[in-house]
Amino acid sequence: MNIVVAIKQVPEISNVQVNPETGTLIRQGVSSILNPFCEYALDHAVRLKALCPDIRITTVSMGPPQARSALMRTLELGADRAVLVCDRKFAGADTWVTALTLAEAIRCTVPDFHLIFVGKQAIDGDTAQVGPEMAEILHLPQISYGTACEITGNNKKIRVQRETESGYQILETRLPALVSFSKGENIRRAPSFADILSSRKKPIDLIRAQDLNIADQELGLSGSFTQVVKIFPPLLKENGPLLSGLSPQETTATIIKLLNTIDVLEKKEGSL
Amino acid sequence: MMLINREKCNQCELCIKSCPFGAMTITEQSAQAGDECTLCGCCVNVCPQGAIAIQRTPVSQKDLARFCGVLVVAECEERQGLLHPKKVVYELLSKGRELADKLGQTLMVIIMGDDRLADLTKLGHHGADRVLKCVHPLLKEFSTDGFTAVLSTVIADIKPGVVLYGATPNGRELAPRVAARLRLGLTADCTGLDIDAENQLVQTRPAFGGNIMAAIIAPRTRPQTATVRPNVFPVNFYDAAKIAEIREVSLVLNKSMIRTRIVQEVCLTEEQEPALEEARIIVAAGRGYQTQENLSNARRLAKKLGGVLAASRPLVEDGLLPHTRQVGQSGNTISPKLYIALGISGAVQHLVGMNGSQTIIAVNQDPKAPIFKIADLGIVGDADAVVKSLLTKLEN
Amino acid sequence: MHEITSTPMDEIPIETIHQINGFDAIKENYPDYLTDESKLTMGAFDFLFFPQNESELATIVNEMIRKKICMTVAGARTGLVGGCVPLCGALISLENLNKTLDLSYSESADEWRIKAQAGVLLSDLATMITGKCFSDLEPDLSPETQKKLIHFKNDPGRYFYPPDPTEMSASLGGTVATNASGARTYHYGPTRDWIRGIRVLTMAGEFLEIPRGKYFSSPGGQFTVYDSKGGHTPIRIPEYTLPRTKNTAGFYAAPHMDLIDLFIGSEGALGIITTIEIALLPWEPKCSVIQFVSSDDKALHLVKSLRSDKRIQLDFMEFYSQNALNLLRKMQAEDSRMVGMPPIPESAGAALFFELGFDPEMDTPDYRALEETINTAGASLTDSWAGYETREISRFKHFRHLLPEKVTQVISERKKIHPEIHRLSSDLAVPDEHLDDIWNLYKERLNLANIEWVGFGHVGNNHFHISSMPRDMEELARGIKIYTEFAEKAVSYGGTVSAEHGIGKIKAKYLKTMYSKDHIAQMKSIKTALDPDLLLNPGNIFTQETCTK
Repeated sequence: MNIVVAIKQVPEISNVQVNPETGTLIRQGVSSILNPFCEYALDHAVRLKALCPDIRITTVSMGPPQARSALMRTLELGADRAVLVCDRKFAGADTWVTALTLAEAIRCTVPDFHLIFVGKQAIDGDTAQVGPEMAEILHLPQISYGTACEITGNNKKIRVQRETESGYQILETRLPALVSFSKGENIRRAPSFADILSSRKKPIDLIRAQDLNIADQELGLSGSFTQVVKIFPPLLKENGPLLSGLSPQETTATIIKLLNTIDVLEKKEGSL
Repeated sequence: MMLINREKCNQCELCIKSCPFGAMTITEQSAQAGDECTLCGCCVNVCPQGAIAIQRTPVSQKDLARFCGVLVVAECEERQGLLHPKKVVYELLSKGRELADKLGQTLMVIIMGDDRLADLTKLGHHGADRVLKCVHPLLKEFSTDGFTAVLSTVIADIKPGVVLYGATPNGRELAPRVAARLRLGLTADCTGLDIDAENQLVQTRPAFGGNIMAAIIAPRTRPQTATVRPNVFPVNFYDAAKIAEIREVSLVLNKSMIRTRIVQEVCLTEEQEPALEEARIIVAAGRGYQTQENLSNARRLAKKLGGVLAASRPLVEDGLLPHTRQVGQSGNTISPKLYIALGISGAVQHLVGMNGSQTIIAVNQDPKAPIFKIADLGIVGDADAVVKSLLTKLEN
Repeated sequence: MHEITSTPMDEIPIETIHQINGFDAIKENYPDYLTDESKLTMGAFDFLFFPQNESELATIVNEMIRKKICMTVAGARTGLVGGCVPLCGALISLENLNKTLDLSYSESADEWRIKAQAGVLLSDLATMITGKCFSDLEPDLSPETQKKLIHFKNDPGRYFYPPDPTEMSASLGGTVATNASGARTYHYGPTRDWIRGIRVLTMAGEFLEIPRGKYFSSPGGQFTVYDSKGGHTPIRIPEYTLPRTKNTAGFYAAPHMDLIDLFIGSEGALGIITTIEIALLPWEPKCSVIQFVSSDDKALHLVKSLRSDKRIQLDFMEFYSQNALNLLRKMQAEDSRMVGMPPIPESAGAALFFELGFDPEMDTPDYRALEETINTAGASLTDSWAGYETREISRFKHFRHLLPEKVTQVISERKKIHPEIHRLSSDLAVPDEHLDDIWNLYKERLNLANIEWVGFGHVGNNHFHISSMPRDMEELARGIKIYTEFAEKAVSYGGTVSAEHGIGKIKAKYLKTMYSKDHIAQMKSIKTALDPDLLLNPGNIFTQETCTK
């Protein structure tokens, strides 16, 4: 069985700072990492493979040349093969073009896939659009917000636990299908040094624009349907007083005073 | 343009059965699309041979003008046996009303479900000029396939200029699926929507975990589509006298079009407890306040104030509270009247979820905690001691 | 040359300098300044100063000298032996002497150097070096400075300051005063090896400017310090030989030694170090590896094999004994997220944590030597955790730091019931050939005495951290006896009583375990030469119960 995991390399958001004048990100000193949600998707593929060693995991990423290191990470974490979809012509792609390019790359490199796993969203874009768009382009049923899954029906179906606003559902669909995951291993896995060394022997194939059956004007910026016209820093609320060194009783009194001014407490006789 | 591969077509006629406009026929041993075809894309998915493709070129300037009207997608939730539009729909209608007025166009709302659909007149009171009512037994619960098929069909038919969805879990699945089917520009999680001088929809949204804001347009495709988080726009349009025209939409849906099956459904929230998004008062616990005793006290405090308990992401990931209680970039966006943050540092991904709160009180041991940058009242101290003291005072 | 002259600095009116008077006021408003990380407290003291610059410091110090008031100097107060805990008199915190003064490239040594004041924190230094951003230097628009900044920024290489004491929130001055070490000392040597120059304020109230490589002891083992008022102070270097291990016990002494080395590691007994020039090293990509083995013995066997194989270059070798892994397993069960690593494999009996050069870009990395050596210890590279991304290196480091933090936490809990209880920790190191001997001693004695302990640490330098957490006062008493035996045994093996933490006040009593009466007297005579009234950091190294007046 072939499982394709589409991944993205993203900046480590927790370390990102914004230049207050230009509103752009200060990328210096910020590491690039495998998008955590993509890692969850890989976690699930690896779990399935542990139960069924026949499974072959191929990870695919559309990105600049340095995305190779994220793909290398997936090989260390248990993928069998990686594909880097990289070309100057892909630059400036919005989610639609990204989905189109990735879908086509998967058709080329793993034409007989059974499952495509993706992460819920990338922590830089936060759109969660590429997964569903890929599913539509490839005519696949999709299940999103997966937290657990199992292959059933004699390897013909997949059951996925899907997070909902009020709890969760178990959904089932026939293969081939696309699943996006919102949860994986609680603690990031650590490959062994042996895994790291052996991953260097696994193949990382390069797919360029000429390998894909997509016209140039449908790629990259020119193929995008959305366009960013401005970037600016967010306007957060202004803060009020910061008090320290108060006893809990003094703190309580201060809080209750505030609660009274915003009418949150029921007024009783002899108010607080 | 519809492209049909004659060699692949085996005349199974599935496309004929699923075309909502009756546009498909078999001619000369191959399927063909007639003039009624709106390029909604339903047949593409259904064809088992993959013989159908739609080649879309972006809309020309002349054609752009033909797309007219603002369409709000009304997601529903079940309450007491009926399907009611979620609160976010009314927020979208208020905003949609504003946009439609600026454009001088109609505000429509599409509502999909089975015969339990309710509150349609309320949609009119909240600003809709027209309600597109789509009723079908197969729409009794949300499915990506079913709802995408219906929505794509309606959009292809009525050609709105703007489509707005609530960025709820379902909305965030549906919107990109429709966008891909109809080749549309889509912007997710918008916190701002406006019309510019060229009558384009300017969509503003956070990126990089909320560290920056981006303003986005979709110049070449129509309709322009966007999802909007709940609690971002206020419900500020209400006219009890406004009556919307209700139009029943005839649908073609069959079981084979819906490829996912719900095997089980589990509800983790208590019936009486309001959804986080609708809570007026929220007490939230973070890493600095996460023992069982702490959470139990926080719950008591929330209850005493008439509010609900929430949590930041680490507590949910540790399994201390269900994800339904999570506030933040990858959880719920909330804008209560009062937000009390206990032991929450205020990483930007959390702030993005609760920055809209009217009054924020934060207690944290670390004076440098980022949450203090937006707190109306910040207390450097031990949340445990503060909560206990507050409870003592409030419970007497 | 062996003669050096100090220069005075103009004083400013003392009234202009902010000071806090009275022990009550200090205790009330600045309670953190009563102690350091050891939690030791001594006597009541009357003055607290936060000099903003060298002028203020010189003024304060000269005033104290004139009034014969004892002064204790504090950096970031992260020390473990009470070095900055005052007995009496004044506490001078150097936290505001935190400017970076210069960045330069030495052609002759082919290295980048940074000059900074004593109060700069190591973590801030690391940030500046990694980010190549020096906020104290950027505003200086002189072409010279700007040229240096641009040169450093444009240098494609990354740099770092090699000694990495575990405690990164320590002040630079503190680490120089104690000659601090860390895991990386195994490969890179202690702080001393990376100091190119210091500026010292003496108890004559004047400044000595000491670059490395300029002042050496005379053939007779002597230095002479002159001051501007015509005073001259001869200093005779002690005659002992330093142990063949990491060492922070006692003054540095060697024939034809550099004067700078007398002050480095002198724990504030001889002068106040105000400015330090450090050298940087080009950074190379590394991979952290935690290798699991089946037992403590197998771990030590592996240490020796790795050490002896010249083909294998490790930056450091750290040890997790069986009880250390068990404690970590307990912590994972309580709060796996805080521990931050996957579950420790059940089969793991002990582990080694090491770091080695690793280029992630290399297509065919060759680590056969490492693999073979690990196999000979009955272990396999598949039973390891490894990572080279920045965040991986961080979380491996965090995993290592959890142990001492946990010990501190356990002791705090126990202190609630037994207020007098404290941890017992060893800071002993022995030469390579006694690695097994000292480990077996630790294990036997502590297990036999039924004391709760955990063993980890810089095994590469034969420097175990043996931390005991006594459950009651009786266990504490038993432990103290045993630890005294440990110190004596370590010295008998040719080792030291303090490999890393220094003597300070807490270990002053151990000095005589390691040095003879004569040798201690030789050290004392240097102290009395440079600080005749015994005003500076009383109690450090040389026991002093009360202040002299």
